[in-house]
Amino acid sequence: MIFTLLSHQWKGFWRASDAGKNIAIQIFMGFLMLYLLASAIAVGLMLPKLLMQVFPGQNIITVFCGLILYYFAFDIILRFMLQELPTMVVQPYLVQNISRKQIVNFLNLRSLVSFFNLIPIILFVPFVVSEIGVTYGPLISLGFVLTIFSLFIFNHFLILFIKRITIVNVLWLVGFFVVVLAFIALDYFGGFSIRHFSSVLFNRLLTTPLLCIVAIALAIASFYNNRAYLLRNFYLEEMTKSEGQKSSVDYTWLNRFGEVGDLIALDLKLILRNKRPRSAVLYSGILLFYGFFFFKTKVLDKGVLANAMLGGIFTTGYLFINYGQFLFAWQGNYFDGLMASNIQLKTYIKGKLMLLTAFSTVALLLTLPYGLLSWKIIPIEIAAYFFNIGIHSMVCIYFATRNYKAIDISKTSRFTFKGSGPAQYLYVLLIFFIGMVLYMPVSFLLGAWAAVIAVGTVGLISFLLRDWWIDILSKEMAIRKHRILEGFREK
Amino acid sequence: MISINNIGKSYGGQWAVDIAQQQIETGEIVGLVGNNGAGKTTLFRLILDLVRADRGEILSKGKNVATSEDWKKYTAAYLDEGFLINYLTPEEYFYFVGKLNNSSKAEVDEVLKTFEPFFEGAILKSGKYIRDLSKGNQFKVGIAACVIQNPEIIILDEPFANLDPSSQVRLIQMLKDLRERKRMTILISSHDLNHITEVCTRILLMEKGLIIKDLKASDDTLNELEAYFRI
Repeated sequence: MIFTLLSHQWKGFWRASDAGKNIAIQIFMGFLMLYLLASAIAVGLMLPKLLMQVFPGQNIITVFCGLILYYFAFDIILRFMLQELPTMVVQPYLVQNISRKQIVNFLNLRSLVSFFNLIPIILFVPFVVSEIGVTYGPLISLGFVLTIFSLFIFNHFLILFIKRITIVNVLWLVGFFVVVLAFIALDYFGGFSIRHFSSVLFNRLLTTPLLCIVAIALAIASFYNNRAYLLRNFYLEEMTKSEGQKSSVDYTWLNRFGEVGDLIALDLKLILRNKRPRSAVLYSGILLFYGFFFFKTKVLDKGVLANAMLGGIFTTGYLFINYGQFLFAWQGNYFDGLMASNIQLKTYIKGKLMLLTAFSTVALLLTLPYGLLSWKIIPIEIAAYFFNIGIHSMVCIYFATRNYKAIDISKTSRFTFKGSGPAQYLYVLLIFFIGMVLYMPVSFLLGAWAAVIAVGTVGLISFLLRDWWIDILSKEMAIRKHRILEGFREK
Repeated sequence: MISINNIGKSYGGQWAVDIAQQQIETGEIVGLVGNNGAGKTTLFRLILDLVRADRGEILSKGKNVATSEDWKKYTAAYLDEGFLINYLTPEEYFYFVGKLNNSSKAEVDEVLKTFEPFFEGAILKSGKYIRDLSKGNQFKVGIAACVIQNPEIIILDEPFANLDPSSQVRLIQMLKDLRERKRMTILISSHDLNHITEVCTRILLMEKGLIIKDLKASDDTLNELEAYFRI
């Protein structure tokens, strides 16, 4: 049965309408993974020597014990950002002679085959075998290996569970973040030391290897929790149908924009009334906080503005990443109708452009408080804003015309929602690249501030020339229209 | 009004649509019949430029539908639920469509009033989004949206399939009425031979992408069609 399902998934991958894009991404990811794998092997083998150098004079085994939970915490965050939910179109199998348990088991086990589960093994097992095995004997090292293995399986299923449940209820996401931030804060300010806790735990393990059973129990519990959740929610859509009278809404303030206003109103209603786009938009709100990564006051004071530039682009354009990439795909369900209706392609593209502009404007207003960190951030953000509405938006729409996979907004199925994954990050890297291509040369020749002004000005001019862009993009759209329609029909 | 010139669309080596020459004149009610997979829906999609033709062209009022967007101004179509914006209430959808065709709310309301018997109270002021309506009612929304656009040509794919018998009768009456009052050109496809011979002035029989019969509606048409489909 597992082989059949696997072969179906394999075929599904190659025969999908966006196979080309997926393959390209997978190859790129493949190279990245190979590189990381090689690094991990190197670190894993050299761990004893590394620890001796970094923590001279201390017992490296004790040090090792302290570090394990650090990696564990880091792993949770990394998985949350990058780990993809295992997906499967479940409906065709539901009526066949396959039990739900089999499907759920398949999904869960299949998800285990992941890069994230390989790395900790490669990193830690060599050390455990070489140092702990030698000093304390094979039984204890076995206990260690089992514990570490179980801990990561626990992590794996925990993150899957959290990702799934946040689709239904965003509050879980908030809760998760609060807990994570609390732990980080406690550790940073000395209230609770992860390292100490880790040391204590694993030192106990050194003496009583049987304690690994606790970890194994945790892993199994996490697996079953995930499984139970999926089995309980097999009835998919029915769960979240809300009762109550729906009323017609008219956005009169958009009326003065004419047809474009109508299209924007349509998009707004789409976001407000459908779970998936609504989650995507709310979920993206987290990205606003990434500003803290980019806006470092120390670096700014030194006059290095490049980081802040990237930060500005990221934060004022955050909605482009999760929503903008699928601009047309959100309307995939009724794209046929849109294309056959009395809307000119140019008007349609213009509507999308205005929507992105609105997103960016809202983002700009939301990120202005960063100015409290340093006044320099504000002009940089404004420049980034112009970059986003003038250049990033065009790139975004261009990419959207190459997206042939519709998003079925009526389905909030836990089985087919991928969540954010590596593809989004690749997109961000591309946008950063474009930004830096503009920024770096000018910064080199004329200095950082000139570069900021340059980026902003180019963006602004590009935005003022938007009609020209809309022309080009609608021509692109006209060429791709049929391909997009075909892809969207394949639901 | 519509000229089909040597149009061809193939999927995987097989011609789904392969028509050398066909004209549809203004004011005709043309019925398209054929077995499943004959190419009816694909032909409609070609007329609406939703599918790229592999050869040939379709002209609407003399202009190629693939290169000019003018046909959108006077063409209304409803092929399947994919044409509805299902997270809107029916009223919102009607006003949206009306606006696109420069009809005011009042004008749209007038048209909707004539639809009241057709809707049987299930659609207007229902407090539901279109996605929560039954399939048949969604279809009614689609048809009404077409009429609101006040088009010169309406294209409907299997309109009788999802309607209850009394609504089918009302639809037939409505289509005949539109043709008489407004000289509307109507293109419908159906598996229901009885209804289609009742309402159409001309019947095209499609098989494997080709139009094999072009019949002017008469009393014999029903017999002729039944003879074709008899095993």
